[in-house]
Amino acid sequence: MSKENEVKVKSEDLFEVEYMSRWQLTWRVLKRHRLGMVALWILIVLYLGAIFADFLSPYNPYRQSLTTRFAAPTKIRWFYGGKFVGPYVYPLIKEKDPVSFRTILREGSNLSKIEGVDREGRPFSVEIGKDGVESIVLMVRYRETARSSQGEVTYRKKTEELDIVPLSMVDELLGEGQYVRTYTSSSYVKALTSKYAWKVKKIGSPKAVDVVYELDSVIVSLKNGEVKEIPIASVTDYSLKRYHVKFFVKSWEYKFLWLIPSRIHLFGVDEPAKLYLFGSDSYGRDMFSRILFGSRISLSIGIFAILITFTIGLMLGGFSGYYGGWIDEIMMRITEILMSIPGFYLLIALRAIMPMDVPSHITYFLMVIILSFLGWPGMSRVIRGMVLSLKEREFVQAALAMGFPARRIIWRHIIPNVFTYVIVAATLSIPSYILGEAGLSFLGVGITEPSASWGLMLAQAQNITYLTNYPWLLIPGAFIFLTVLAFNLFGDALRDAMDPRSLGA
Amino acid sequence: MLRYVLRRLILTIPVLLGVSFLSFMVIAAAPGDFLDQYRINPSISPQTIERLEKQYGLDKPWYVQYLVWLKEVIRGNFGYSFQYHRPVFEIIWRRLGATLLLSVSTMIFIWSIAPTMGIYAALHQYSFADEAFSVIAFIGISIPNFFFALLFLYFAAKTGWFPIGGIISLNFDQLPWWGKLLDYLWHVVGPVLTLGTAGLAGIMRQMRGQLLDQLRQDYVMFAYAKGMPERNVIYKHALRNAINPIITIFGYNISGLLGGAVLTETVFGWPGMGRLVIEALQSQDLFLVMASLLLSSVMLILGNLLADILLAWADPRVRLRFS
Repeated sequence: MSKENEVKVKSEDLFEVEYMSRWQLTWRVLKRHRLGMVALWILIVLYLGAIFADFLSPYNPYRQSLTTRFAAPTKIRWFYGGKFVGPYVYPLIKEKDPVSFRTILREGSNLSKIEGVDREGRPFSVEIGKDGVESIVLMVRYRETARSSQGEVTYRKKTEELDIVPLSMVDELLGEGQYVRTYTSSSYVKALTSKYAWKVKKIGSPKAVDVVYELDSVIVSLKNGEVKEIPIASVTDYSLKRYHVKFFVKSWEYKFLWLIPSRIHLFGVDEPAKLYLFGSDSYGRDMFSRILFGSRISLSIGIFAILITFTIGLMLGGFSGYYGGWIDEIMMRITEILMSIPGFYLLIALRAIMPMDVPSHITYFLMVIILSFLGWPGMSRVIRGMVLSLKEREFVQAALAMGFPARRIIWRHIIPNVFTYVIVAATLSIPSYILGEAGLSFLGVGITEPSASWGLMLAQAQNITYLTNYPWLLIPGAFIFLTVLAFNLFGDALRDAMDPRSLGA
Repeated sequence: MLRYVLRRLILTIPVLLGVSFLSFMVIAAAPGDFLDQYRINPSISPQTIERLEKQYGLDKPWYVQYLVWLKEVIRGNFGYSFQYHRPVFEIIWRRLGATLLLSVSTMIFIWSIAPTMGIYAALHQYSFADEAFSVIAFIGISIPNFFFALLFLYFAAKTGWFPIGGIISLNFDQLPWWGKLLDYLWHVVGPVLTLGTAGLAGIMRQMRGQLLDQLRQDYVMFAYAKGMPERNVIYKHALRNAINPIITIFGYNISGLLGGAVLTETVFGWPGMGRLVIEALQSQDLFLVMASLLLSSVMLILGNLLADILLAWADPRVRLRFS
């Protein structure tokens, strides 16, 4: 308690001893607003992310990868066999669900080392990179057996190459030599056996199907082109290839800060592994990269639109407030009319006038114009009101009496007094522009594919099947939310800090 | 009071004229018209298109079209929809009903709990509930409607507790009247929560701020000092003064609901005005767009008027200024 008082007294002394400018004072108050500062930091991080989007993106946001559509956020592992080895990931294998025909992506990896005993009783040990070994591929015997009360029948049998071993079966397959999966659900049994009905029918209707993988042999290819096959009896040790997350990797080309051509990216993993921090979308594009690139559009559009709105608002509002008369009358009627049309309808109506199928940078430009057109009536009216009341204040009357020209009074006396309000209002109204852009893009009349914007990305989640199966499609919405929240909190803090009553305290 | 209402009603006429003129201009400025899709269709002869152009008056310059349209509207004829080949009014009527139903439900939701929450928060300043309310309020203000709607849909689909869109169930017609009501309420929960959170948060914060301001006033001190029971001080004096600005918000609330409903209706598949307007705009169904824009503007203006009347009713100072 006493300490707090001490600090307070000290800062008050400082205020009296040292001259501080308006901005220094404002900053001093702002710094004390904890939530406001957190919000400011969030905004700084988001905007830095937008500026360095290409450096931070591991993948080209436009590159499609149809083998990894709707990949869940990649699981980053840190430990291997209980030992800390740094961040690494496993590649994804595509599988088709026999019933829903949906593609399922599972983690798996190549073998990097295998030790064991072959069928003649001799021990063997192969490791990638040692003795010129280039790759290790597992051969497995695969069979499907249908069972019923009348017996069982193996209706399908083959030998298969398993160059990427799914993580879910690796322990059983290599440890025990066989991996069994039993399907008992009738829809699965039906889907699996339907093509072999003529073989299965001798046991009546099957109740269950066993899918069995058995270890057969390893095929080792050497650097000199030689290929060796080792029939396996048992495995004593093995390890999977890990794809470590690498930093400052070379990958797709871009222009750093729109100027310097570069291929360096902050992080990435080697193919065929993929590092999708936020998963991938319906075209297999990396959501993380697209969110970064989308932030360039979503975060900048608000700033540009607000700049235009405020220029118009200050000019028109200031003008009609200061001069009044019939100009004021007309201006106010126009704003009234514009404000009587529900905002979002007007937004869409204006979008409808503009051409739809234009390059995305022109769409961006059009949207800035539309959004600022929507905002100026409200802004003008408020500024007009402020100017009207300021005009009656003593200091303006004094300036008038001293015979200052109107331009000087407006610029030196009125604008600085309105400006505080303008800055706070700008911060607090940026969210509505961001939401306007997101809303239009969400409805498909804003930014269009293949460009990325948060609203557009969220539009994919409108499909209820996508939404329930791939919830990571909602992440862009969380970013919109975070940005809007940060702007609201920061604007709130700014309003407190800009309030002259709070400056001395 | 009546004079005030009449004056306000008369003042809305030029605004509505302006709205209609502006909307007409905007739609006329859009490249192409509804018949474009027929023009590119080789199976429709140029004669048919010419006939249709004449029929809809699309061959005349836009200001003539506007005057013709205006004349018809004054007679109560809003024209035919190009797309549905039915009178515009018939189409809008149902959609307007759905949107109004949603708006009214949302208003009831917001106004039945937000002021109470605000009053509670003000009377228990810095308590746990107060802090919790203000966190909820900030989240509510900041969460985008369509994101909230998607989150709700995800929740609904995962738990199965709520329907994933629509306004009524398939078996609606077979239900008894209370079943119908319950079915509607079951469907409206998502859209109402989505539309309501922002308004709820705003009103709650306003209510809290206003009441706190009033409680600091001298007259409240005086009332306490002369020994008036606390309940009377708060509910008969402070609250009555604090409620005025909240009434003004009421009007803005209606307009906010109309605008925000477009996205919410899209996500929830709610057959309201919002989606109708978007579809009509995209296919340039001129009269349908005009009628819906005009009607929604009327609703907005009426909402503001209602708020002003309520304010005049509640605040004698406002009444004096205008009568």
